[in-house]
Amino acid sequence: MSGGFSEILWPVQSGLPLLLVLQLLPLVGAAVVFAFNERSTAVVAGKVFALAELLLCIVVASRIKPELATLQLAERFAPLGYHVAVDGISLVFLLVAALLTFLMTLYGMSRGMISPGRLFAVLLVAEAGLVGMLVTLNIAWFAAFSALELWAVTYLLRRWASSRAETQALARFVQYQAFGWALFVGGCLVLGWSHADATGGRWSFDLFDLAGTVPAGKFQTAAFYLLFYGLAVRTPLFPLHGWLPNMAQHGLIAVGPALMVGVKVGIYGMLRFVLPLTPVAVEYWQPYVVGFAMAGVFFTAALAFQQTNLRRLLAFAVVSHTSLLVIGVFSLHEAGIQGTVLLAANFGLAVTGMWFIVGFVFRRTGTTELGELSGLFERIPFLAIAFLIFGLAIVGMPGTPGFDAAHLILEASIDSFGALPTVAAALGNVAAAGFLLWAFQRAFLSQGKQGGHDVDRTMPMEYLVCGIALVAMLAIGFFTEPWLHLTETASQAVAERFAR
Amino acid sequence: MTPPLLSLLVFLPLAGAALLWLLPARAARFVTAGAMLVTLAAASAVMVAFDPDGPRFQLIERVLWVASLNVHYQLGIDGLSVLFPPATALLFLGALVASWNLVHDAPRFYYSLLLLLQCATLGIFCALDTVLFFVFWELTLVPLYFLLGRWGAVAGSARVAAHYFLIMLAGGVPLLLAFVLLAASQSVPTFDLLALLAVPLPHATQYAFLLLCLIGFGVKVPLVPLHTWLPQFALAAPGSLTALLVGLKLGAYGLVRFAIPLAPDAAQDLHWLLAGLGTVTLIYGAVGILAQSNLRVALAYASICHVGLAVLGLAAFTAQGVQGAVSLLLSFSVATGGAFLLLEFLRQRTGSTDIHSLGGAAKTMPLLASGFLICGLAGVGMPGTSSFPGEFMLILAALQSHTGAGMAALFGLAIAAAGFLALYRKAFFGPVTRREVAEAEDLRPREWAVLIVLIFLVGAIGLYPSPWLEIVRPAAEAWAAGLAR
Repeated sequence: MSGGFSEILWPVQSGLPLLLVLQLLPLVGAAVVFAFNERSTAVVAGKVFALAELLLCIVVASRIKPELATLQLAERFAPLGYHVAVDGISLVFLLVAALLTFLMTLYGMSRGMISPGRLFAVLLVAEAGLVGMLVTLNIAWFAAFSALELWAVTYLLRRWASSRAETQALARFVQYQAFGWALFVGGCLVLGWSHADATGGRWSFDLFDLAGTVPAGKFQTAAFYLLFYGLAVRTPLFPLHGWLPNMAQHGLIAVGPALMVGVKVGIYGMLRFVLPLTPVAVEYWQPYVVGFAMAGVFFTAALAFQQTNLRRLLAFAVVSHTSLLVIGVFSLHEAGIQGTVLLAANFGLAVTGMWFIVGFVFRRTGTTELGELSGLFERIPFLAIAFLIFGLAIVGMPGTPGFDAAHLILEASIDSFGALPTVAAALGNVAAAGFLLWAFQRAFLSQGKQGGHDVDRTMPMEYLVCGIALVAMLAIGFFTEPWLHLTETASQAVAERFAR
Repeated sequence: MTPPLLSLLVFLPLAGAALLWLLPARAARFVTAGAMLVTLAAASAVMVAFDPDGPRFQLIERVLWVASLNVHYQLGIDGLSVLFPPATALLFLGALVASWNLVHDAPRFYYSLLLLLQCATLGIFCALDTVLFFVFWELTLVPLYFLLGRWGAVAGSARVAAHYFLIMLAGGVPLLLAFVLLAASQSVPTFDLLALLAVPLPHATQYAFLLLCLIGFGVKVPLVPLHTWLPQFALAAPGSLTALLVGLKLGAYGLVRFAIPLAPDAAQDLHWLLAGLGTVTLIYGAVGILAQSNLRVALAYASICHVGLAVLGLAAFTAQGVQGAVSLLLSFSVATGGAFLLLEFLRQRTGSTDIHSLGGAAKTMPLLASGFLICGLAGVGMPGTSSFPGEFMLILAALQSHTGAGMAALFGLAIAAAGFLALYRKAFFGPVTRREVAEAEDLRPREWAVLIVLIFLVGAIGLYPSPWLEIVRPAAEAWAAGLAR
């Protein structure tokens, strides 16, 4: 009945229901920060809660045994269908989510945004949504948390957008996300219905139940497409990425995009729910999905070359590398899935770091048009180098987590698709290197007309934000072993469902 | 417990780079010089500690790095690689001297990049694990990108830097793929070069591996038609950087170390491909010299020409061939590197290395002119210079294995020598026409020192080559024996 899943309940591994605390902490934090309103204590409280959540994630990581092929620290409360548990894969995503939220609280301060108290409250609500999505094993709860996070991001966009065209970005964002969410919920309903059909009228959205009664034939295909496209909007996957460039250009500079694409919950959702719940359809449609993703890598890379705005360019970079992640997921190979998880963390950290830097640049220059930026290297060398290192991480340079991850994906891709598609995918990386370097040159190295003498030097808070992200990145890059260990068994468990 | 000499050697430059940031900026170049001298000492110590008649790989250090991928941090040297670290250290020292008074802009950053590049280069020569090798390989790109992009000699150098970076990154793709393929073909995936050498690859895999390596290393070598980046790089880069890039034959080293020994059957089946690529590259480089008016670009073509010869000699798959190739590459680090440094001195004085704006330079700068002539002659393999023993062995090997190609190579070398001398005549002799040349002063003491060391090495190795060849010989024989299956 449990569809090949097993779990260890929380009392075995810890004295506390850690995952419940993990989910409640940001909500409590949001309430506290909200109560402080705009007093300066609100800002401090926001940072403290974000840091506490990060530490708690580390505690959770130390409690689980990644070598066991089972979900751990599980908690259940049947009447509400509440069912949470973690494994190595979800922990990587959780750690990234907590780290990025903490960095965002630091960043929000240094950018000097309006009403920081309210901003931090909403940020913590969004974090609660993300954490909820990453720990729940109930697909309906996943959809609910997703709605919570989307609401939080929409609110952020409305209130703190940095451009007059924000309404356009907001409308596009809401249209796309509502549509994607509706598709996903549709997929959930199909799965729940088929479970009710198989068990004589007992509806359930629990992963363990659903994996035992996967729908047959066309229903499975329908469920696959609804869930996949629902997540593809969110991820975002070419050609459903239309909301991101607008949002990146006109919405908040770093916080909004980072919340939406810094943590790749779309990829996580595919690994956790789509692959086990619609296995036959996944295998059948694998070549088409991979084909689309390949096209996406190059099409969006080509679009990235056309951009004149740094923020839009980064948005297309995200779409391009997300396609690479989807190729990894759909290699249905343990090395590929492990690589995807690490690469997702790497991309999330790197691209958020780049967005932070774009935010810092925007605070100085008031523009992110590449044509108007120039010679920033002379004034803010640390940020410039950090930007380049983040860019190199996206390209999978050795010494960044991207290297081992890309390595694993290449291995899986050779196994699953042969050499040619692998070379094509790897060349996609070179294309990404092309537009990122080009952007770097124009913004930071080129000799401009006005010379940029009025640009402020790097501030301590900026050193701190970028420094933490850089250190985390390089530390993971050079000491990959613990991370590989964390994700290895869990990735095998996902891949095992697909006979090779 | 012996000290980890090789790790020390590789990471000394990095320690120097860290030290730079603790001391004031005006001390930067002295700290760098100190770090490079200590590195040179360490490289010499490695050379002394190495016993040519001992086991093939020595001074091995092995630590598990990434357990689940079975990647090791494994360093070691053999007779083929032991001479490269000292040559590298010398060349970097020369490059530092050549740019001694030129870097006023963010000097600590500049020198840290230079030291980082040295660390990565030494790492390439010492790595005995394919992943570790690849890490160092790609690590060279970052400092090169910055050094060229920010301190380039011409206005468009940032674009050239990006071009170089992308081409090399694209070259890295087949290389990484080759290593992954190599590991995946083993029963237990491994990246350990020693283990990989012990187990022959399946035949079909060898072909794929060799072809991927030829593309990956061929870009760096550069083999025609993958050479297009080099001439524009030679024009845009500051002279010291060109000296490093052209002087260090990383691509050819990769062919000797990885591509051929790991795919011995495929390499011998495809000997015509290797020999053909070598010959085409040689002739192309030689003819290319004739068409140039800029001495730096001409030297870049000369280096293309000689690497072609090395590849042709390698395709004989004999101990003589590989021994010749290694000694030619080493001599090239000194001779071509030195020639580029002298050209940089020339450019600092006259603002150009184009023959149209020189003319008669030997009148005002006799020392520089004669130094350049010696390095240049070594570059075209004049007997008595350091390149001659290697070139001679290569030609012999080529004539024995691919007679036609060997004849073509001889012809190509003659063209190269003629082309070089013609350029030399136009640049250094004849009437002085420009004021910059007329007013230029000859070498200063600091530059003198570089020149003397260079000429001493070029002459000493050329006239008395046997100690150096003896270091390489046992390893070269082991290399050739490993191919005979």
